Amino acid sequence: MSTQKYLCMYRGAPSQNKPSPAQMQEMFAAFNGWKEKFKANILDIGSKLKPSGKVLTASGVTDGPFAEAKEIVAGFMIIAADDYEGAVAVVKAMPGMQMPGACVEIREMASF
Amino acid sequence: MRGNPGDGVLLTENSNPSGSSGRSTGSHDSFAASGLVEHFFRREYGRLVAILTRKVGVRHVDLVEDAVQTALMTALTSWVAKGLPEDPGAWLYRVAHNHLIGALRNNAGRLRILEAAAYELTVAADNPASPRFADEVRDDLLRMLFVCCDEAIPKDSRLVLALKTLCGFSTSEIALRLFLSEANVLKRLGRAREHLREVPPDFNSLPLQALQSRLASVHVVLYLLFNEGYLSAQSDRTVRREMCDEAIRLTTLLTEHPVGATPETFALLALMHFHGARLTARLDGMGGLLLLEKQDRSLWDQNQMRLGAESLQKAASGETFTRFHAEAGIAAEHAFAPSFSQTRWKEIADLYAMLDRIAPSPLNAMNRAVAIAQWQGPEAGLVLLKAIEPPQWLLGYYLWDAVLGELHRRAGQNEEARRYIERALASAPTDAEQELLRRRLDSLESL
Repeated sequence: MSTQKYLCMYRGAPSQNKPSPAQMQEMFAAFNGWKEKFKANILDIGSKLKPSGKVLTASGVTDGPFAEAKEIVAGFMIIAADDYEGAVAVVKAMPGMQMPGACVEIREMASF
Repeated sequence: MRGNPGDGVLLTENSNPSGSSGRSTGSHDSFAASGLVEHFFRREYGRLVAILTRKVGVRHVDLVEDAVQTALMTALTSWVAKGLPEDPGAWLYRVAHNHLIGALRNNAGRLRILEAAAYELTVAADNPASPRFADEVRDDLLRMLFVCCDEAIPKDSRLVLALKTLCGFSTSEIALRLFLSEANVLKRLGRAREHLREVPPDFNSLPLQALQSRLASVHVVLYLLFNEGYLSAQSDRTVRREMCDEAIRLTTLLTEHPVGATPETFALLALMHFHGARLTARLDGMGGLLLLEKQDRSLWDQNQMRLGAESLQKAASGETFTRFHAEAGIAAEHAFAPSFSQTRWKEIADLYAMLDRIAPSPLNAMNRAVAIAQWQGPEAGLVLLKAIEPPQWLLGYYLWDAVLGELHRRAGQNEEARRYIERALASAPTDAEQELLRRRLDSLESL
């Protein structure tokens, strides 16, 4: 069992294109298939993040995400893998990676 | 590369060369993995749009569709994370309903049409997640069907509207199925929506029976829906099959309600079942009648033949013999003929003559000539064909040339045959049909 944890962040602008009901069902099926296959790797399937939030700086609180950012972190997930290669393999197989514009940042979580 | 991945890894869709095929093809395996029956999302879309439109009024159908879309999107992420809810349909209804109420409230605030909307809101809010009885859902779907078939909506918009709101196809999926550009689909949809916005709020309180005058238009749309699936030259069989299945599903619903349970509707359903029974046995992308001879009759769907026979029996009442009766009769003759050579061609020729009287078209005369040729020989068929004065559009139709070529070939008039088959070949829309015609030409060369 791999013990190293990786934080996977979905990045990008909120999706504009609307998939059809049939496509959504295919996506759902594909995600479920993927989830089964990598069950042991997925520690927390995570969640979507709501599109707005707050940004805290030394000078105060503003509405966020950062206004100048072209892409935002839209969701996250925590997986387990031995190394980056293993983590990349899990995320690569994720059906969402085939969507146009898909982008996931993977960061090893330091244990301290 | 966008952003700054630091010492992390940034995966983008392009970095996955093996993912070139994109979406999964919706195999049965993946549906099993989803825990949902095939077409669940698409059918739920139609069901929810119909139920919610019934609640808040036809003029808000845009908002309803947005709300249902949002609910399905929400389901996609929520169900992946948490697993399927106990009752997925009720879950979707609840979420779509809440979104819709929010949207209506926003709308009411913005447009200051509080009076009308307030009424709709209370109607919508009083029963947030009531379990729906099957016949209520059926009635709502039928009502939506009658909404789509309003004579006031331009004819070519009705089918598109039905495919969108009732069958849950997206505009690109409709474009693919009807051989239209997506822009054209959007234009037709826009014209239909323009009309729907004008539908008075009290429309929904009308009993379904009050809409019976639209039944003829409903029949035409269902017939078109089926034919687009059955006759289209499209080579993708599953895509065609879906259109036929949708037509049969909606027509069956129609026969279950007093508003639609007429002999004519049963005739329409019978004709769909008989043609549907042969769908699997037909080769991809080839025209029907000419190929019948080659079909393996053991592949015909016995269950659909039985359903066809039941419907045909129910159609045989009343005083009116409609075009659907004629067409169902022809399809039944083919379906129950023990073999191609033992087909009752005289009956079929007579039915085409009746059809031509009800709905005159040179195509009916052409099909009658084909039946006569089977019954009395190619020369008799040719005599009939030559008596037809084909309009311009028929002259450019590959099937017209193909039929003339084939009958000349059978009559041993090889020069004539070659001329027509070559002309048919030039305008045949699919590879399969071209291949069929090429084989005919080859058989002439070898004589």
